[in-house]
Amino acid sequence: MPMTVVRSPALKGLGITKSYGDGERRRVALDNVSLELHSGKLALLMGPSGSGKSTLLAVASGLLEPTEGQVLAEDRGELRDVWAMTAKQREDFRLRTTGFVFQGYNLFPALTARQQLEIVLKWGGYAGTFAARRQADEMLERLGMSPNRHKKPAHLSGGEKQRVAIGRALVKNPSFMFADEPTSALDWENGQKVMELLRDAAHERGASILVVSHDHRLLPYVDVYYHLEDGHLEERPLGSVVSH
Amino acid sequence: MSYALQTLWHERQRYASGVLAVTFSAVLMALQCGLLLGLFKITSIPLDQTKAGHGDGVDIWVGSSGTQSVDLGKPIPESYLTRVAGRPGVHMPEFYIANFGNLTKPVGGTELCYLLGSRLDVDARGPAAVLTPELRHALTERGTVVVDESDVKRLGLDLTGKPKINGKEIRLVGTVKGLRSLAAPWVFCSLDTARHLLGFMMPPEHVTYLIAECDSPERAQQVVGELRADYGNDMSAYSTLEFSTESRIYWLLRTRAGIAIGYAALLGLLVGMVITAQTLYSATAASAKEFAILLALGIPRWRIMLMVLNQSFWIGIIGIGLAYPVCLGLRELARMGNVDVDLRIEIVGGTAIVTMVMALISGLFALRSVRKIEPMDLLR
Repeated sequence: MPMTVVRSPALKGLGITKSYGDGERRRVALDNVSLELHSGKLALLMGPSGSGKSTLLAVASGLLEPTEGQVLAEDRGELRDVWAMTAKQREDFRLRTTGFVFQGYNLFPALTARQQLEIVLKWGGYAGTFAARRQADEMLERLGMSPNRHKKPAHLSGGEKQRVAIGRALVKNPSFMFADEPTSALDWENGQKVMELLRDAAHERGASILVVSHDHRLLPYVDVYYHLEDGHLEERPLGSVVSH
Repeated sequence: MSYALQTLWHERQRYASGVLAVTFSAVLMALQCGLLLGLFKITSIPLDQTKAGHGDGVDIWVGSSGTQSVDLGKPIPESYLTRVAGRPGVHMPEFYIANFGNLTKPVGGTELCYLLGSRLDVDARGPAAVLTPELRHALTERGTVVVDESDVKRLGLDLTGKPKINGKEIRLVGTVKGLRSLAAPWVFCSLDTARHLLGFMMPPEHVTYLIAECDSPERAQQVVGELRADYGNDMSAYSTLEFSTESRIYWLLRTRAGIAIGYAALLGLLVGMVITAQTLYSATAASAKEFAILLALGIPRWRIMLMVLNQSFWIGIIGIGLAYPVCLGLRELARMGNVDVDLRIEIVGGTAIVTMVMALISGLFALRSVRKIEPMDLLR
C-alpha cells in the first residue's frame, strides 16, 4: 500500500544547471532544474533521448557535479548539500545512503548471486562475513532468488540478473535509490517484476527512488512523474499521462 | 575462497598468460642461478672431495698470501709447518702440491691440466675421497696419474703411446667419476709424482698447501683466526668450507659469469613483470563496469585496489608453485646430460621471494586501470 503520510522532501535539487564546453561550443544539458524526491515515493523521470535524464540522475545521486545549483539530501536527520561535501565525504554519503541499478546488470561473472550482495556489505564495512551472508540471503529471499543464490550470472536469466542487481543496491538499506533504465534490457513480464520490487522498496522500506526510463508502461507503478525535455523539467500529474 | 582467487579461477584463461609469465621468470632465474652454482662447484672440487669437504669440516688449508682460489696457490716453504703444528687441537699437517702442468698427448698437441699431488694413505686429508685403496696403491708408483673418466678422451689418454706432463712420461692407472673440470682437467697423483712432474716449477722444500686436521670444526675456525692474526701478511689460512666458497666466488666474479646470468635473469624478470602487469591491467579494465558500480555504491577505491593486488599475489603464488616442479624436472634433464644444477634452498627461496615481489609490483602497475574507473562511465 502506498504511504499517505506527507513528508518533507528527502532530496531536493535546486536550480541545477549542467553545461558542457565553453563559449559557442557550450551545450546546456540541464537548465535551472529543480526536483524533489520524497521518502517512500517512487518517482519516474521520462523524456526523449538526449534530454538530460541520465545527467540529472547523476547530479542528484552525487556522481556528477553540476555547473550550478544545489543537491540537498537528508543525511542523519539534516539536509546537506551533496556538492558542498569533499569527495571523501560524498563517497561516505553514497556508501551510507545510496543504491544504484543500471540497465547493464554489471555483476561479477565469477561471483554467485549471494556473493554479489555480500561484497557490498563486507567491503562497505556494513557487516562481517557471517552477518553479510545472512543479510544477503534474507534479501535474496525477499526477491524470490533464494533457489538461485549459488548461481553465477552466466546461469541466470536477464530478469534474475536484474533482481540480483536490485538486491545489491537494496542490501545496505539505502535512503535513496537511483535506477537508470532498469527495465530496458528485459521483456515486459520481467520489467513489471522489477518495477514491483522497486515500488515495494519505496513503499515498504521508505526509500526515495528515482527511476529514469523512456517506457510509458512504467507509469502505473510510480507515485511521481517528471518529464524532462530540452533541459527543462516539469512534474506532471500521473492521471493525465496514463491516459496519454 | 577469496573473491580475488575465485575470479582468477573463473577467468583462468584470461589470467593464464600472467601465471605462465611468473612461472617462466621463476624457472629462468632458479635454473640460471642453479646452473651457475653447479658450474662453479667444479672450481672447488679439490676441496669438496676431501674428507673434510665431504662433511666433517675439521681441516684447515694454509697457502701462499692472498690465495683466493684453490687453483691459484703459489709455492710456500715446507717450514711453515712449524707455524701450524704444535697448536692445541691441531694434528700434524700434511703437504699438498697443486699446480698447472702442460700435458702432451701421445699423438701430439698439448692440453693444460692441473696437478693435484697429495698423500695417499687411508688417513690422509688431501686426496679425493673417491680414490679407492687400489687406485691409491697404484698411484704410489712415480709417474702414475688418475683423471676423471670424462677427461680421458680430451687428454688423449685413451690412445696408445706415451703422454707426458711437462716433458715427463705419465701413465694412467685408473679413472674416477664426478671430478670433472671447468677448464684444465684435474690430474690426481702422489706428492712424489707431482714434485717429479713439476720439476723446477716447485722449488725444493716447497709445497702449495699445508692441510691440518683439527679436533672440531669450531677449533678449525679458531686456528684459522689465530694463523691469520699471526701470519696474515705472508700466508693465507682457511677452513675447507670457507676456502671452497672463496674459490667459487672468486671464479664467479672473475669470469663475470654472475653478471651475465644476472642480466639474463633480470631480463626474464622484466618480461614476466610486463606480461603479468598487462594481464592484470586488461583483466581489471574488462571488469571496469563491475568495479564502477561498487564505486557508485560508495565502496572505497582502495578495496578494489586491494583486490587487484590480491590477484597479483595469487598469480605469484600459483606461478611459483608451478615453477618448482618444472625446475626439478629440468634439473633431472640436465643431470642426464651430466650437468649439475644446484637448486639449494637459498636459490629456491630467493627465487620465490624475488618472483613474488615481481608479481606484486606488476599488481601495482595494474592499479593504473583502477584509477581510471569512474562510476559516471555507467551512465554514458
